[in-house]
Amino acid sequence: MNDVLVGRALAKRFGQTVALGGVDITVRAGEAVAIMGPSGSGKSTLLHCLAGIMKPDSGEVHLLGRRIDAMSERRRSALRRTRFGFVFQFGQLLPELPAEENVALPLMLDGVPRAQAVRRAREWFGPLGLGSMETRRPGELSGGQAQRVAIARALVSRPAVVFADEPTGALDQRTGHDTMRLLAEATKHNDASLIVVTHDPDVAAWCDRTVEVRDGLILPSGVRA
Amino acid sequence: MNLGLTWRLLKGGGKGMLGTWLTLGAVAVSTALLLFAVAANFAFEVRGERGAWRNPVPATSGAVAVEASRYDYVRDQAITVVDLGALGRAPAPPGMPRFPAPGEVWLSPALAALAARLPAGELADRYPDPAGVLGDEALIHPDELVAVVGHEPGDLALTAARSDDWVIAKPPTKVADLAGTPSEDSEAYRMLALIASVLMVVPLLVFGGAAARLTVARRDQRLAALRLVGATPGQVVAMTVAEAMIVALAGALVGAVAFALAVPLLAGIEMQGGPWFAADLFPGPLILAAVLVAVPLLVGLSAVIGLRRVVVSPLGVARRETPPAMRFVRVLALLAVLAAFPMLSRGSSVTIVAVALGLAFLCVNLAGPWVVGVIGRITAASARRPARLLAGRRLVDDPRSAWRTVSGVALTGFVAGFLGLLSPGAFESEAGPPQLRVTAPAGQVAKVTEQARRRLAKAGVPATVKASDRVVVAALGSAADAAAVDRARTALAGLVPGRTPTTKTDDQRFGVQILADVRVGTIVVLSVSFLVAIASAGITAASAILDRRQTYGLLRLAGTPLEVLDGARRAETLIPLAVMGGGAILVGVFCATPFMLGGISTVGAVTLLACVAAGFAGVIGAGALSRPLLRSVTADPAPRPD
Repeated sequence: MNDVLVGRALAKRFGQTVALGGVDITVRAGEAVAIMGPSGSGKSTLLHCLAGIMKPDSGEVHLLGRRIDAMSERRRSALRRTRFGFVFQFGQLLPELPAEENVALPLMLDGVPRAQAVRRAREWFGPLGLGSMETRRPGELSGGQAQRVAIARALVSRPAVVFADEPTGALDQRTGHDTMRLLAEATKHNDASLIVVTHDPDVAAWCDRTVEVRDGLILPSGVRA
Repeated sequence: MNLGLTWRLLKGGGKGMLGTWLTLGAVAVSTALLLFAVAANFAFEVRGERGAWRNPVPATSGAVAVEASRYDYVRDQAITVVDLGALGRAPAPPGMPRFPAPGEVWLSPALAALAARLPAGELADRYPDPAGVLGDEALIHPDELVAVVGHEPGDLALTAARSDDWVIAKPPTKVADLAGTPSEDSEAYRMLALIASVLMVVPLLVFGGAAARLTVARRDQRLAALRLVGATPGQVVAMTVAEAMIVALAGALVGAVAFALAVPLLAGIEMQGGPWFAADLFPGPLILAAVLVAVPLLVGLSAVIGLRRVVVSPLGVARRETPPAMRFVRVLALLAVLAAFPMLSRGSSVTIVAVALGLAFLCVNLAGPWVVGVIGRITAASARRPARLLAGRRLVDDPRSAWRTVSGVALTGFVAGFLGLLSPGAFESEAGPPQLRVTAPAGQVAKVTEQARRRLAKAGVPATVKASDRVVVAALGSAADAAAVDRARTALAGLVPGRTPTTKTDDQRFGVQILADVRVGTIVVLSVSFLVAIASAGITAASAILDRRQTYGLLRLAGTPLEVLDGARRAETLIPLAVMGGGAILVGVFCATPFMLGGISTVGAVTLLACVAAGFAGVIGAGALSRPLLRSVTADPAPRPD
């Protein structure tokens, strides 16, 4: 497998607190990686550095061989829009847009004409079990349904990597399980890599391997089957 | 309630303080403007009461004096002349140490100064050898021209008939005291002031509500956290209300101080022919206290309403569903009221016009959100770019909130449209050389005509004097300037006791004054309304960003350019502003059509355009001011060492 995303010697401090103490990580094409660790361990900071949301104090991030941490905020922003997808715990859907327009938004932001963007967005609803939910608004969806809409939105641009930060944190166990299964399957089906930040072993179980973070460092760990 | 915890929450720190300052500023502005609106009413009342002594009330028994009044003129100003004669032990009139003796003349400071400045033949000879200067208690404003003339009760000045027009003159009246009663015109001014206050207070209340929501918007996360750790809804409400009210009280005090500092400036706004006594514009301590109590209470109430969401759900999750469509009946109501307007005319009673205007104002407000919803649907359906799509969907989602942002400007646009184009065309200046007219007593027309001729000749004023029916007309030469007219006035003073020789322009002066005052009032109301609308738009924009900061943050984090978010915000305000502002102005103009005199007033149209342009620019600028806030809430998506 090819390396898609590579982080080398990533370090980040917040005041006196060391969030990342020189982390190396490599994610391969189509691979699902869980980043686990207790609160304050640095796992979200690692995700933000890898996704180009935050600049590390030192170290480098490469996407498909191109260094991205040195890019301007504008270029990193464009990169996040086109090459990355995001799924968060809650709150990422725009409440006033119907589900299909929430999914179509990244395409429209990238210049795809509206009709085409909405048509492409609708294609995701059936496979994700959201048939007939296209015109509903987020307030009319259950938590699990809203998370599946968020998964569709993360994948609609055919990204290289999908980042998920506690994607099941606001869901009950059964819904969380279903949502995680859909997320893992859909990213694999689209040849995208998946990086999931979680403290839930059941969520991590859906990934190919788990990276344990403690005090800003990655602990040695084995590759999961 | 834990006041210590409330205080720590209030101090907040970081971005929390920005919200506190914004709220404080908003409350300060609304308190200052509210005090102005309230004070203006009392100021007109005080003026009316101070001028009441010149409007005699007939005595039913025990008359102590005879009183009459009329207007005299100098240059383009009116002089109020009060004739007094004692019947017994008459009390001292206001502003005078004693009742004037027969033959005595007392002048107001401004009239005394003018008499000293102009040649005696133009003014001073009408009021020779003044015995003293009137105190402020006798005057409605510091620049007022007033003369009090003492007479024997039997003098012709206190027995002869006067003009039938109550505005021009008050006939000799036996009075039991000199208290009098506020004149009809002062009552009319009070009514106009009341209408102006209502026009200003409604947007102020909307503004106060928006400010209170800002307090809640920046606190809801922390208060939701308090709910999660077990604070009861009562405790959360009490803490938030206490916090909002502390800020509101501080804002109200700042506003009161700002108002006090602005009083000297406000006192310079001329009404009824002159500026104000600064003391008249200070509301009494009771009124001040009432405003200082009412403002924090109203803000606290708005905070409670804004808090429902947090109290209902500890997670603070807003459930958004497709909003029910607004009823078309709102627009039907507006159309029905508008349909009635062409039936009105300049002859319609003031009450009917006021009610119709009030209804139209109300219906514009009712129809506003419905129209905003329709605009939103059209914008969303036709949107090709994400910013317009977002803006359109937001307008559909919450048309009331979008309407609140632009309602101030739209409703002001209605007022501007209505008043801006009213033309003073009926009051045309006198064509040709000036003519002074005075009505002679029956049977004395020839004698008065001859006397007028002699007096004018003696004063060296070239004039042709003729009688037409009972009116003696002195036509001055074509070279007569304002000074010559005043020389003629002075020469003819007292020619017919109790009557003033006047030009056509003099006779129209009262109407012109009222129209000029209405125009000044309109500009004041428009300025205040636009100020409130602008501040309101700024506060609403900031509050909307704080409300949506999580969504904005996550959208930016996922790569949405700031320009798109900002563009959506801008379109969300601009589209309804242009449509509703423009629409409301047109409705206002339509409502004013039945009352237009002659053509459209150019000055009015220019004032209207300037006000509207300034208002629109202000609203757009106020929205743009919150762009740094948008940048700051989205720049730092998740700075946590996790």
